[in-house]
Amino acid sequence: MIHLAFCLWLASQSPSPEALRHLQAGIEADKQRNVAVAIAEFRKVTELDPALPAGFVNLGQAYMESHDYGNAVPALKHALQLEPNLAPAHLLLGYALLAQGYAAQAIPHLQKVNEQGALGIAQIEAGDLPEAVKNLQAALDKRPNDPDLLYYLGRASGLLSKQSIDTLLAGYPDSARTHQALAENHYVLRQMLQAEKEYKEALRLKPDTPHLHLELGLVYAGASQWDKAENEFRAETRLQPGNAEASYRLGDALLQQGKAQEARIALARADHLKPEMPETLYALGKAASLSGDPARAEKAWREVISVEKESSLAAQAHFELAGLYRKQGKAAEAEREMQEFTKLQNSAGQSNGPR
Amino acid sequence: MAASSRNSRRRTRNSHLLKGVFCLVLLPALGTAAIFEVKLPKGLDFILQNSPTPQKYLIETMPGGVALLDYNNDGLLDIFLVNGGRITNPMHMPENFDRKDPRYWNRLYRQNPDGTFTDVTVQAGLANAGDGNYGMGVAVGDYDNDGYPDLYVTSYGHNILYHNNGDGTFTDVTAKAGVAAGGWSTSAGFLDYDNDGKLDLFVTRYMEWDSKHSKICGGEWKTYCPPEEFPATTSILYHNRGDGTFEDVSQRSGIAARKGRGLGVAFADYDGDGFTDIFVANDGMQQFLFHNNGNGTFTESALQSGAGLSEGGRRLSGMGTVFQDYDNDGRPDIVVTELPREIYGVYHNEGGGLFSYASLATGLGALTSGTSGWGVGLEDFNNDGWKDLFVAQSHVLDNVEQIDPSLHYREIPLLALNHNGRFEPVDSGATLPVAARGAGFGDLNNDGWMDVVVTVLGEHPQVFFNRGGKQHWLTVALRGTRSNRDGYGARVQVNGQTRFATSAGSYLSANDKRLPFGLGAATGATVEISWPSGIHQKLNNVHADQFLEVREPEHP
Repeated sequence: MIHLAFCLWLASQSPSPEALRHLQAGIEADKQRNVAVAIAEFRKVTELDPALPAGFVNLGQAYMESHDYGNAVPALKHALQLEPNLAPAHLLLGYALLAQGYAAQAIPHLQKVNEQGALGIAQIEAGDLPEAVKNLQAALDKRPNDPDLLYYLGRASGLLSKQSIDTLLAGYPDSARTHQALAENHYVLRQMLQAEKEYKEALRLKPDTPHLHLELGLVYAGASQWDKAENEFRAETRLQPGNAEASYRLGDALLQQGKAQEARIALARADHLKPEMPETLYALGKAASLSGDPARAEKAWREVISVEKESSLAAQAHFELAGLYRKQGKAAEAEREMQEFTKLQNSAGQSNGPR
Repeated sequence: MAASSRNSRRRTRNSHLLKGVFCLVLLPALGTAAIFEVKLPKGLDFILQNSPTPQKYLIETMPGGVALLDYNNDGLLDIFLVNGGRITNPMHMPENFDRKDPRYWNRLYRQNPDGTFTDVTVQAGLANAGDGNYGMGVAVGDYDNDGYPDLYVTSYGHNILYHNNGDGTFTDVTAKAGVAAGGWSTSAGFLDYDNDGKLDLFVTRYMEWDSKHSKICGGEWKTYCPPEEFPATTSILYHNRGDGTFEDVSQRSGIAARKGRGLGVAFADYDGDGFTDIFVANDGMQQFLFHNNGNGTFTESALQSGAGLSEGGRRLSGMGTVFQDYDNDGRPDIVVTELPREIYGVYHNEGGGLFSYASLATGLGALTSGTSGWGVGLEDFNNDGWKDLFVAQSHVLDNVEQIDPSLHYREIPLLALNHNGRFEPVDSGATLPVAARGAGFGDLNNDGWMDVVVTVLGEHPQVFFNRGGKQHWLTVALRGTRSNRDGYGARVQVNGQTRFATSAGSYLSANDKRLPFGLGAATGATVEISWPSGIHQKLNNVHADQFLEVREPEHP
């Protein structure tokens, strides 16, 4: 691509016939992946016509193809001395400098040609994380399936998040948000006692902070302390009556304790707030079944299957439907659901509990 | 009516305490007092030698069983404890386990009238557990109907059938009986599957594992491997020929048609057809419910019955199991203990051969999703007429805290009282977390209140003595005539409660064969017995607070 653009630009130049011959020979060798010959030819061009930027650009690119960034950089810089606005030279020089770890020096060259992907990467290295996220996101919008861009955007976002949290911890160590951040970190590390302590401190400092009760509830749920989890989720639903997840979590905690009727109310609310959530529907089916409403259970599990189709949750819904039909004496329907369950289970595999 | 009674040997304590003025001060405390007093009776000096090694041989974390039986018919329950063995690191072939070393013997403790125990292992002829046998579990049953309970000890290696000679000694009759099995046997139980009056024998086996093919799992954590790492295997059904020998009918009966990873086994007639069915708790896979077809064959029907998988069709790490009626609807239900994040399985018998998953409805979701269960019993510990739940608990991995700090290797047992079919946790009296495994249930001191013996890896057993209370009780001892002498397989109903006569259930263990019933405030009872022979017997106006021996009528 660079070659093509460069050839168009070259047409506006006027190299000597001999230099042009070597230039063409170099391009041909490069096409044949004979990089050593290409380098020799391009070097000849720069000797024959030292004022021709094309010779230096091609020489720099050939060096880069042989991963010799050390020699590529001076050639490309020379090209830019000859022609300061030469876009291919800026692009290649930006790449070469970045490859050698000179991110800060690479940035102006990459900015010049608006190469947002490489620019974002260089900005990560240079510590300009907000700009890095912005440029990488823009690059990803153009190339959504690029694994490198996906990786670097994740890395930049993570570092930006860490930077922000570090600032929070250092500058406001006694704030509720600092305790929340510490709690979240403990939670990720499965240090549940410490997480609980920090969440409680955050709540003491700022009781009405959204998500604190929800997150503390998740700590308790992870430790199977369902009564405590219920209290926290309930507090979150009072604080945020429009939060579907809080209602779902409350319903699940109630369900785990066998409080089917209460669970059903909370789960129905979650379903109302955010319809077609498969987890909510599955739990709603369980709550309805436990509270003696097989028709509602059947409806909820059918909805799970219509939303999920082939997931493990769909398999679970088929299994529950089989049990429901069995209880109703509908042997053929039960058998059909078991077949679907087995089919999905076999195709998805099944993970067992921690061992 | 052929019934006799025996008075309670020990009066309950609370009735005495309540008379004292001093007690008024203590009343609030008594209201929350633990059900059990946990203590080691004098003389019970057994230590379960499981011999943990860095090699993480899977057998190390699996023993061992306990049996509560009255081997000398003196009216007092004795205790038999199965030992593991010594494991070298690494294990050398041939595997030996040093079972001749007294530290690694199985032990029989005779209960003395004062409640102490005497080790009678040597004089009973039980000292030799067989080199190469790493002990696992025990089953109890009078297979020759001579009135004395016999012992069947399972192992990794070979199993041993000890015939009770009736004079305080046992004889190893394994070779003659043909029940040595082989491989890795776990829980076993006697049952009369064909109702011919002779006890047959069911042996669960865990997996195809041997020390040569042992593995260490868990990466840097180095843990015992999950069961899926090793091939499944078959359980064994032995038919009692009645001449002191057994026939392996595993193939013919259909039992061997399914390969599993069996750890627990329990028996009951779940569909009321008069034939005893078999539930096998499998580890890390579907559970097995072998329906007895009544013609010597079984059909595995757990999935069709709804008792094969957990909520949402998930597999269970089934370990211990019990097959009794927890909600007093007359039909036996199933409880399966398992690992954390799975919730102990409760399968409610709906009738018509169907079960529904009832763990959440019974309250076990909140109680058991973070614990690991082994030995399990549904017994009426407060004699209120509802069977309560006791589970011996401990994680399978001895380093689980390093992997997941929210889990624990050593745990205290679960005791949950049954309130109209819903279980609520109460203080068991245990304060020291242990690595519990087997659990045997029985009335050790004949006070009418159910006690528990729990085996503990590397330690003495824990004995849970029931503190008793004011409720009335009735304990029924069956004496079969046309049916097997133990009456195993009988369905006994007392004041609306139902029990299925068996000593099997729990994990690796055998329970007191007598059938306890809590009567609450009732001072009398009606007893109905459906014997395996088909004979139905009814006793009216039976007084409470007695041990009632009921002899099966010779004629219908």
